[in-house]
Amino acid sequence: MKMRIFLAEDNLGDVLLIEEALRRQSLDCEIDHYATAEDAIRAAELCGQGSPVPDLMMLDYNLPRGNGSDILAAASRNPKLAQVPKVIVTSFLQPEEFNHAVKLGARGVITKPVDFELFMQDVGAKVTELLQGGNFGKTKAMGSEES
Amino acid sequence: MTAGTPTMTAKAAPEEGTRVKLLLVDDDPDNLLALQAILEPLHQELMLARSGTEALRMCLDHDFAAILLDVRMPEMDGFETAEIIRSRRRSLQTPILFVTAYRSDEQLFRGYNLGAVDFLFKPIVPEILQSKVNVFVELRRSEQLVRRKAEELERTEQRFRAVLEAAPDAMVITNQAGIIELANTRADILFGRSREALIGRDIHALLPAWECPDDDFTNPAGSQPTSEQRLNAYRDDGSTFPAQITRNSFHTADGLLITTAIRDATDQADAEAKIQKINLELEKRVAERTAALRYSNEALRQFAWAASHDLQEPIRTVVTYSQWLAKLADGRLGSRESKMLATIEQHAARLNQLLGALRQYIQVSDSGQHAHTQVDCNAVVKAATWNLQAMIQESGATVDCGPMPTIPALELPLVQLFQNLISNAIKYRSAAAPVVRISAEESDGGWLFSVQDNGIGIDPKYGEYIFGVFRRLHGSDKSGTGIGLAICRAAVERLGGRIWVESVPGSGSNFRVFLPS
Repeated sequence: MKMRIFLAEDNLGDVLLIEEALRRQSLDCEIDHYATAEDAIRAAELCGQGSPVPDLMMLDYNLPRGNGSDILAAASRNPKLAQVPKVIVTSFLQPEEFNHAVKLGARGVITKPVDFELFMQDVGAKVTELLQGGNFGKTKAMGSEES
Repeated sequence: MTAGTPTMTAKAAPEEGTRVKLLLVDDDPDNLLALQAILEPLHQELMLARSGTEALRMCLDHDFAAILLDVRMPEMDGFETAEIIRSRRRSLQTPILFVTAYRSDEQLFRGYNLGAVDFLFKPIVPEILQSKVNVFVELRRSEQLVRRKAEELERTEQRFRAVLEAAPDAMVITNQAGIIELANTRADILFGRSREALIGRDIHALLPAWECPDDDFTNPAGSQPTSEQRLNAYRDDGSTFPAQITRNSFHTADGLLITTAIRDATDQADAEAKIQKINLELEKRVAERTAALRYSNEALRQFAWAASHDLQEPIRTVVTYSQWLAKLADGRLGSRESKMLATIEQHAARLNQLLGALRQYIQVSDSGQHAHTQVDCNAVVKAATWNLQAMIQESGATVDCGPMPTIPALELPLVQLFQNLISNAIKYRSAAAPVVRISAEESDGGWLFSVQDNGIGIDPKYGEYIFGVFRRLHGSDKSGTGIGLAICRAAVERLGGRIWVESVPGSGSNFRVFLPS
């Protein structure tokens, strides 16, 4: 069965890297990609009403015209998305941003590693876990910078 | 003084000026000579008159301590002479001693009636004459002394008044109850009253809050002037002004008197008010400037934060893609191309590292208000060394930590501080295995921490330079971003402390941190 992934990411380089990581996990995925927060919010509002409900929402935090939390807020208003796991994928997040995102329903944060191999392993493993119903780091509050 | 004894002859002559005049009156020159001889030992000025007329003339020009008057004389007898002497103002009080050969009641009665003070009967007994005359000499002397004292007193009083008048302040002398006994012209002017109106009045009408100073009774000269005091003063017309006063007390026979010096302090008060106003204005402006600076600092910090973050995104992508490309092209690139790709990756990685350090710096130097908590520095050093585990193991370093205090601070900047200082000590090591000694001692109002190493040391001329951002003393032979010590300084300054280095190049560095407690 083909998985649908809702991806909000403005860095096209990262979109390719995520696709590569998923490909390496042999996950059969279709990615709906949004490059701005505004586009992602509109899409989140329409999920289940004409457009398909995704299996996973991967949200970058800093985006043009909004951020990951804005998308999480929009998703929380759409009951069709209530059961969909959501995760923030970013290179760096401040503690207060992390806590805000968790409050709005994020299961956790995937930090984008600088190293290529690490990126492939980390992102791939975490996405697989989430798609299989795991909820890594869901309740872990962040006290300090995650780097 | 024992009067009239013959021993008087042995006495030195009294000083000129203190000698008194005695008038001897007799028509018989032998008698005069005899009297003169008897009275000579008294060392007074003896004047001789041969008749009543002559005596009267002398009385016009001289004041006598006593007149010895022969009763029986031709032309004008002693009584007649005495009568005229008595009738003159100048000689009204001059004591007259009659000398007579006859002891008759009628004579005595007449004599005393004319104001005689005594009678001397012939033959004269020298001792008695000397003794009697000496009484009048002493009397005159005492009179003179009293007069001199009175004159002196008057001069003193005049001098005192002159001083009082010359004083730059209004001066008011009162008794203990505050009743004014004396005041100078400045007091009249200051309070708008005539001096007559001031004297006898209560000083509280002028200065309601006036108090008698605590008297130092052990000091016979009176008290030291009290320190200056600011009181409200009232003029005669009811208007009021601030007065600066000092008081001091002195003992007199009439009791304690208090001198109060009063100065109109209106100008001074105005100046003080003006200074206070200027100070307030200044404080307000400083506060405004500080707020503006804080705002612009915070704005700058946020900008730097966003910039470092936004720069890191693309550079991270460059690093990752260089690696991806190297992987994909593996085996298809020549060694030159591989080296070029590796260089791109290396420099991008370095830029990424620098941006990370810069972000850490910005985070540590956060100027926001954070409540300090009690931080156990033992735990801080433990956390710092734990973070550096790999580096410590790899270098074979010994990190030795003495007992650390618990201080009010922020934990995160403190961990960052020790972590950077320890990693610095290991990074800039000499050939020997690194030994880092951490200690703390109590110092004037805070704690003085010390991170001492046995590394290569730092030339003292770079002692300040190294704490700047992106300051490095070494090339790529030593890893480092050039921000580590800047982060230390930012952390220490955020905690209100100071950091500096003491070093002898070649034998290690001692980083010293003072944190207030």
